[in-house]
Amino acid sequence: MIDMAMHMMDIVQNSIRGEAKEIGIYFFEDSRHNKLTFRVEDDGRGMDEPTLKKLTDPFFTTRTSRKVGLGIPFLKMTCEQAGGSLSLFSEEGVGTTVEAFYRTDNPDCLPLGDVAGYAALLLKANWELHIRFSYRTEDEHFVVDSDELKEEGIDLRYPEMLTALKEFIQENLNEIYRKRPPESLLC
Amino acid sequence: MNGIKTLADLKRKQEEVKSRIDLRNRAENPDSLVQVKVAMATCGIASGAKEVMEYFVEELDKRRIDAVVTQTGCMGYCFAEPTVEITLPGKEPMVFGYVNARKADEIIERYIKEGELVDGIIPRNYNTI
Repeated sequence: MIDMAMHMMDIVQNSIRGEAKEIGIYFFEDSRHNKLTFRVEDDGRGMDEPTLKKLTDPFFTTRTSRKVGLGIPFLKMTCEQAGGSLSLFSEEGVGTTVEAFYRTDNPDCLPLGDVAGYAALLLKANWELHIRFSYRTEDEHFVVDSDELKEEGIDLRYPEMLTALKEFIQENLNEIYRKRPPESLLC
Repeated sequence: MNGIKTLADLKRKQEEVKSRIDLRNRAENPDSLVQVKVAMATCGIASGAKEVMEYFVEELDKRRIDAVVTQTGCMGYCFAEPTVEITLPGKEPMVFGYVNARKADEIIERYIKEGELVDGIIPRNYNTI
Protein backbone atom coordinates (compact mmCIF):
# COMPACT_ATOMS: atom_id res chain seq x y z
CA MET A 1 0.00 0.00 0.00
CA ILE A 2 1.67 3.18 -1.10
CA ASP A 3 -1.02 5.63 -0.11
CA MET A 4 -3.97 6.04 2.24
CA ALA A 5 -6.52 5.82 -0.55
CA MET A 6 -5.44 2.22 -1.16
CA HIS A 7 -5.88 1.44 2.51
CA MET A 8 -9.32 3.01 2.36
CA MET A 9 -10.39 0.71 -0.47
CA ASP A 10 -8.88 -2.27 1.31
CA ILE A 11 -10.42 -1.70 4.72
CA VAL A 12 -13.85 -0.98 3.24
CA GLN A 13 -13.67 -4.33 1.43
CA ASN A 14 -13.53 -5.94 4.88
CA SER A 15 -16.75 -4.18 5.85
CA ILE A 16 -18.44 -5.33 2.65
CA ARG A 17 -17.37 -8.90 3.31
CA GLY A 18 -18.68 -8.49 6.84
CA GLU A 19 -22.14 -7.92 5.36
CA ALA A 20 -22.32 -4.25 6.27
CA LYS A 21 -25.20 -2.22 4.89
CA GLU A 22 -23.94 1.12 6.13
CA ILE A 23 -20.32 2.15 5.89
CA GLY A 24 -18.83 5.42 7.00
CA ILE A 25 -15.41 6.55 5.80
CA TYR A 26 -13.98 9.49 7.69
CA PHE A 27 -10.84 11.51 7.26
CA PHE A 28 -10.06 14.15 9.82
CA GLU A 29 -7.09 16.32 9.12
CA ASP A 30 -5.84 18.43 11.98
CA SER A 31 -3.07 20.26 10.18
CA ARG A 32 -2.27 22.60 13.07
CA HIS A 33 -1.27 19.61 15.15
CA ASN A 34 0.03 17.53 12.25
CA LYS A 35 -2.47 14.77 12.80
CA LEU A 36 -4.63 12.81 10.44
CA THR A 37 -7.25 10.30 11.50
CA PHE A 38 -8.69 7.82 9.07
CA ARG A 39 -11.67 5.84 10.26
CA VAL A 40 -14.00 3.26 8.75
CA GLU A 41 -17.19 2.37 10.61
CA ASP A 42 -19.62 -0.31 9.61
CA ASP A 43 -22.73 -2.06 10.83
CA GLY A 44 -21.58 -5.48 9.70
CA ARG A 45 -21.35 -8.78 11.50
CA GLY A 46 -18.71 -7.62 13.93
CA MET A 47 -16.53 -10.05 15.84
CA ASP A 48 -15.83 -11.29 19.31
CA GLU A 49 -12.92 -10.28 21.52
CA PRO A 50 -10.59 -13.23 20.73
CA THR A 51 -11.02 -12.68 16.98
CA LEU A 52 -10.43 -8.95 17.35
CA LYS A 53 -7.16 -9.66 19.15
CA LYS A 54 -5.96 -11.81 16.25
CA LEU A 55 -6.78 -9.17 13.65
CA THR A 56 -3.33 -7.63 13.45
CA ASP A 57 -1.73 -11.05 13.00
CA PRO A 58 -0.77 -11.34 9.31
CA PHE A 59 -1.32 -15.11 9.47
CA PHE A 60 -4.87 -14.76 10.62
CA THR A 61 -7.70 -14.75 8.09
CA THR A 62 -11.22 -16.13 7.83
CA ARG A 63 -10.68 -16.99 4.19
CA THR A 64 -10.01 -20.48 3.04
CA SER A 65 -8.53 -19.48 -0.30
CA ARG A 66 -5.22 -18.40 1.23
CA LYS A 67 -3.43 -18.42 4.53
CA VAL A 68 -2.59 -14.78 5.06
CA GLY A 69 -4.61 -11.66 5.76
CA LEU A 70 -2.55 -8.55 5.27
CA GLY A 71 -5.01 -5.67 5.05
CA ILE A 72 -5.12 -4.73 8.73
CA PRO A 73 -1.44 -5.63 9.42
CA PHE A 74 -0.35 -3.33 6.58
CA LEU A 75 -2.49 -0.52 7.90
CA LYS A 76 -1.01 -1.00 11.34
CA MET A 77 2.47 -0.96 9.86
CA THR A 78 2.02 2.21 7.82
CA CYS A 79 0.55 4.24 10.65
CA GLU A 80 2.97 2.98 13.28
CA GLN A 81 6.01 3.57 11.07
CA ALA A 82 4.96 7.22 10.98
CA GLY A 83 4.56 7.49 14.74
CA GLY A 84 0.82 6.86 14.67
CA SER A 85 -1.37 4.07 15.96
CA LEU A 86 -4.21 1.78 15.05
CA SER A 87 -7.36 1.16 17.09
CA LEU A 88 -9.93 -1.53 16.47
CA PHE A 89 -13.38 -1.79 18.03
CA SER A 90 -15.94 -4.41 17.30
CA GLU A 91 -19.07 -5.91 18.72
CA GLU A 92 -20.78 -8.97 17.40
CA GLY A 93 -23.96 -8.12 15.58
CA VAL A 94 -23.35 -4.40 15.91
CA GLY A 95 -20.39 -3.55 13.71
CA THR A 96 -16.73 -2.72 13.52
CA THR A 97 -14.66 0.44 13.59
CA VAL A 98 -11.11 0.68 12.35
CA GLU A 99 -9.27 3.86 13.21
CA ALA A 100 -5.79 4.69 12.00
CA PHE A 101 -4.00 7.70 13.35
CA TYR A 102 -1.15 9.25 11.38
CA ARG A 103 1.47 11.85 12.26
CA THR A 104 1.65 13.95 9.15
CA ASP A 105 4.91 15.64 10.18
CA ASN A 106 6.68 12.30 10.05
CA PRO A 107 8.62 11.73 6.80
CA ASP A 108 7.33 8.15 6.70
CA CYS A 109 3.70 9.24 6.68
CA LEU A 110 1.91 7.97 3.58
CA PRO A 111 0.58 10.43 1.03
CA LEU A 112 -3.21 10.58 0.67
CA GLY A 113 -3.16 9.33 -2.90
CA ASP A 114 -6.13 9.25 -5.22
CA VAL A 115 -8.79 9.42 -2.52
CA ALA A 116 -11.38 10.80 -4.94
CA GLY A 117 -10.83 8.03 -7.49
CA TYR A 118 -11.09 5.25 -4.94
CA ALA A 119 -14.09 6.80 -3.19
CA ALA A 120 -15.94 7.13 -6.51
CA LEU A 121 -15.18 3.50 -7.39
CA LEU A 122 -16.33 2.31 -3.98
CA LEU A 123 -19.64 4.12 -4.34
CA LYS A 124 -20.16 2.84 -7.86
CA ALA A 125 -19.27 -0.77 -7.17
CA ASN A 126 -21.43 -0.89 -4.04
CA TRP A 127 -24.32 1.26 -5.10
CA GLU A 128 -26.79 -0.93 -3.17
CA LEU A 129 -25.08 -0.08 0.12
CA HIS A 130 -25.23 3.15 2.06
CA ILE A 131 -21.74 4.61 1.98
CA ARG A 132 -20.80 7.92 3.47
CA PHE A 133 -17.46 9.53 2.72
CA SER A 134 -16.38 12.50 4.75
CA TYR A 135 -13.26 14.66 4.70
CA ARG A 136 -12.98 17.17 7.48
CA THR A 137 -10.41 19.70 8.57
CA GLU A 138 -10.72 22.18 11.44
CA ASP A 139 -12.65 24.60 9.24
CA GLU A 140 -13.88 22.66 6.27
CA HIS A 141 -16.12 19.68 5.79
CA PHE A 142 -16.97 17.75 2.66
CA VAL A 143 -19.38 14.82 2.58
CA VAL A 144 -20.60 12.48 -0.15
CA ASP A 145 -23.42 10.25 0.94
CA SER A 146 -24.72 7.59 -1.43
CA ASP A 147 -28.27 7.89 -0.09
CA GLU A 148 -28.24 11.65 -0.63
CA LEU A 149 -26.94 11.16 -4.16
CA LYS A 150 -29.73 8.69 -4.86
CA GLU A 151 -32.29 11.18 -3.55
CA GLU A 152 -30.93 13.75 -5.96
CA GLY A 153 -31.51 11.31 -8.80
CA ILE A 154 -27.86 10.46 -9.34
CA ASP A 155 -27.46 6.94 -10.70
CA LEU A 156 -23.95 5.53 -10.75
CA ARG A 157 -25.01 2.57 -12.85
CA TYR A 158 -24.46 4.93 -15.77
CA PRO A 159 -20.76 4.42 -16.50
CA GLU A 160 -20.21 8.06 -17.38
CA MET A 161 -21.30 9.13 -13.93
CA LEU A 162 -18.21 7.52 -12.40
CA THR A 163 -15.93 10.11 -14.00
CA ALA A 164 -18.34 12.87 -13.06
CA LEU A 165 -18.49 11.77 -9.43
CA LYS A 166 -14.73 11.45 -9.26
CA GLU A 167 -14.37 14.98 -10.58
CA PHE A 168 -16.95 16.25 -8.10
CA ILE A 169 -15.09 14.72 -5.17
CA GLN A 170 -11.68 15.78 -6.47
CA GLU A 171 -12.71 19.41 -7.00
CA ASN A 172 -14.10 19.64 -3.49
CA LEU A 173 -11.07 17.99 -1.93
CA ASN A 174 -8.73 20.30 -3.87
CA GLU A 175 -10.62 23.22 -2.43
CA ILE A 176 -9.94 21.89 1.08
CA TYR A 177 -6.31 21.01 0.29
CA ARG A 178 -5.67 24.55 -0.94
CA LYS A 179 -6.51 25.93 2.49
CA ARG A 180 -3.87 23.89 4.25
CA PRO A 181 -1.21 25.85 6.09
CA PRO A 182 1.91 26.16 3.91
CA GLU A 183 4.03 24.21 6.40
CA SER A 184 1.81 21.14 6.17
CA LEU A 185 3.68 18.15 4.75
CA LEU A 186 0.60 16.16 3.86
CA CYS A 187 0.12 15.63 0.16
CA MET B 1 -18.85 21.28 -20.14
CA ASN B 2 -17.50 23.13 -17.17
CA GLY B 3 -16.06 21.43 -14.13
CA ILE B 4 -18.28 19.52 -11.74
CA LYS B 5 -18.03 21.20 -8.41
CA THR B 6 -21.40 21.23 -6.80
CA LEU B 7 -24.17 18.72 -6.37
CA ALA B 8 -26.18 20.75 -8.86
CA ASP B 9 -23.43 20.26 -11.48
CA LEU B 10 -23.49 16.55 -10.79
CA LYS B 11 -27.26 16.50 -11.17
CA ARG B 12 -27.06 18.36 -14.45
CA LYS B 13 -24.54 15.84 -15.74
CA GLN B 14 -26.85 13.00 -14.67
CA GLU B 15 -29.76 14.49 -16.58
CA GLU B 16 -27.61 15.02 -19.63
CA VAL B 17 -26.39 11.41 -19.52
CA LYS B 18 -29.87 10.07 -18.86
CA SER B 19 -31.38 11.88 -21.81
CA ARG B 20 -28.74 10.34 -24.06
CA ILE B 21 -28.61 6.79 -22.80
CA ASP B 22 -31.30 4.45 -21.68
CA LEU B 23 -30.33 1.84 -19.14
CA ARG B 24 -32.29 -0.85 -20.98
CA ASN B 25 -33.81 -2.55 -17.96
CA ARG B 26 -30.46 -3.43 -16.53
CA ALA B 27 -31.68 -4.29 -13.08
CA GLU B 28 -34.42 -6.56 -14.38
CA ASN B 29 -32.27 -8.94 -16.37
CA PRO B 30 -28.63 -8.71 -15.37
CA ASP B 31 -28.06 -12.10 -17.03
CA SER B 32 -28.15 -10.53 -20.45
CA LEU B 33 -25.21 -8.28 -19.63
CA VAL B 34 -21.50 -8.86 -19.63
CA GLN B 35 -20.37 -9.02 -16.03
CA VAL B 36 -16.90 -7.88 -15.11
CA LYS B 37 -15.66 -8.42 -11.58
CA VAL B 38 -12.35 -6.93 -10.62
CA ALA B 39 -10.64 -8.54 -7.61
CA MET B 40 -10.08 -5.77 -5.10
CA ALA B 41 -8.56 -7.19 -1.97
CA THR B 42 -5.20 -6.19 -0.51
CA CYS B 43 -3.29 -8.07 -3.22
CA GLY B 44 -5.36 -6.67 -6.07
CA ILE B 45 -5.25 -3.09 -4.85
CA ALA B 46 -1.49 -3.26 -4.38
CA SER B 47 -1.02 -4.46 -7.95
CA GLY B 48 -3.14 -1.79 -9.61
CA ALA B 49 -6.69 -3.16 -9.71
CA LYS B 50 -8.10 0.36 -9.53
CA GLU B 51 -6.63 1.41 -12.87
CA VAL B 52 -7.92 -1.80 -14.42
CA MET B 53 -11.40 -1.26 -13.05
CA GLU B 54 -11.53 2.36 -14.22
CA TYR B 55 -10.32 1.21 -17.63
CA PHE B 56 -13.10 -1.39 -17.92
CA VAL B 57 -15.80 1.07 -16.84
CA GLU B 58 -14.68 3.74 -19.29
CA GLU B 59 -13.77 1.57 -22.25
CA LEU B 60 -16.82 -0.71 -22.17
CA ASP B 61 -18.94 2.42 -22.16
CA LYS B 62 -16.98 4.02 -25.01
CA ARG B 63 -17.18 0.83 -27.07
CA ARG B 64 -20.90 0.58 -26.39
CA ILE B 65 -20.89 -2.76 -24.64
CA ASP B 66 -23.59 -3.21 -22.03
CA ALA B 67 -21.78 -4.40 -18.97
CA VAL B 68 -21.85 -4.33 -15.22
CA VAL B 69 -18.45 -3.70 -13.67
CA THR B 70 -18.13 -4.47 -9.99
CA GLN B 71 -15.58 -5.56 -7.43
CA THR B 72 -15.03 -8.85 -5.76
CA GLY B 73 -12.71 -10.07 -3.04
CA CYS B 74 -9.52 -12.05 -3.37
CA MET B 75 -9.99 -15.24 -5.35
CA GLY B 76 -6.85 -16.83 -3.98
CA TYR B 77 -4.74 -16.00 -7.04
CA CYS B 78 -2.69 -13.30 -5.37
CA PHE B 79 0.33 -14.16 -7.54
CA ALA B 80 -1.58 -13.24 -10.69
CA GLU B 81 -3.15 -9.97 -9.59
CA PRO B 82 -4.81 -7.92 -10.88
CA THR B 83 -7.31 -10.62 -11.74
CA VAL B 84 -10.62 -10.10 -13.48
CA GLU B 85 -13.58 -12.47 -13.71
CA ILE B 86 -15.67 -12.09 -16.82
CA THR B 87 -19.05 -13.68 -17.35
CA LEU B 88 -20.47 -13.47 -20.84
CA PRO B 89 -24.24 -13.97 -21.03
CA GLY B 90 -25.05 -17.67 -20.77
CA LYS B 91 -21.44 -18.71 -20.27
CA GLU B 92 -19.27 -19.91 -17.43
CA PRO B 93 -17.25 -17.23 -15.65
CA MET B 94 -13.68 -16.90 -16.89
CA VAL B 95 -10.82 -15.57 -14.80
CA PHE B 96 -7.94 -13.66 -16.35
CA GLY B 97 -4.71 -12.92 -14.52
CA TYR B 98 -2.01 -10.24 -14.80
CA VAL B 99 -4.46 -7.76 -16.25
CA ASN B 100 -3.28 -4.26 -17.07
CA ALA B 101 -4.76 -1.71 -19.44
CA ARG B 102 -3.20 -3.42 -22.45
CA LYS B 103 -4.45 -6.85 -21.42
CA ALA B 104 -7.86 -5.36 -20.65
CA ASP B 105 -8.02 -3.97 -24.16
CA GLU B 106 -7.24 -7.40 -25.58
CA ILE B 107 -9.87 -9.01 -23.34
CA ILE B 108 -12.52 -6.54 -24.49
CA GLU B 109 -11.68 -6.80 -28.16
CA ARG B 110 -11.15 -10.54 -28.38
CA TYR B 111 -12.94 -12.25 -25.52
CA ILE B 112 -15.90 -9.99 -24.80
CA LYS B 113 -16.60 -9.01 -28.40
CA GLU B 114 -15.59 -12.17 -30.25
CA GLY B 115 -15.69 -14.90 -27.63
CA GLU B 116 -12.12 -15.95 -28.46
CA LEU B 117 -9.96 -17.17 -25.63
CA VAL B 118 -6.88 -15.08 -24.89
CA ASP B 119 -3.70 -15.78 -22.93
CA GLY B 120 -3.73 -15.41 -19.18
CA ILE B 121 -6.75 -17.52 -18.27
CA ILE B 122 -6.61 -19.03 -14.83
CA PRO B 123 -8.27 -22.46 -14.72
CA ARG B 124 -11.38 -22.28 -12.63
CA ASN B 125 -11.04 -24.70 -9.77
CA TYR B 126 -11.95 -22.33 -7.00
CA ASN B 127 -15.07 -21.03 -5.34
CA THR B 128 -15.53 -17.37 -4.51
CA ILE B 129 -16.63 -16.84 -0.96
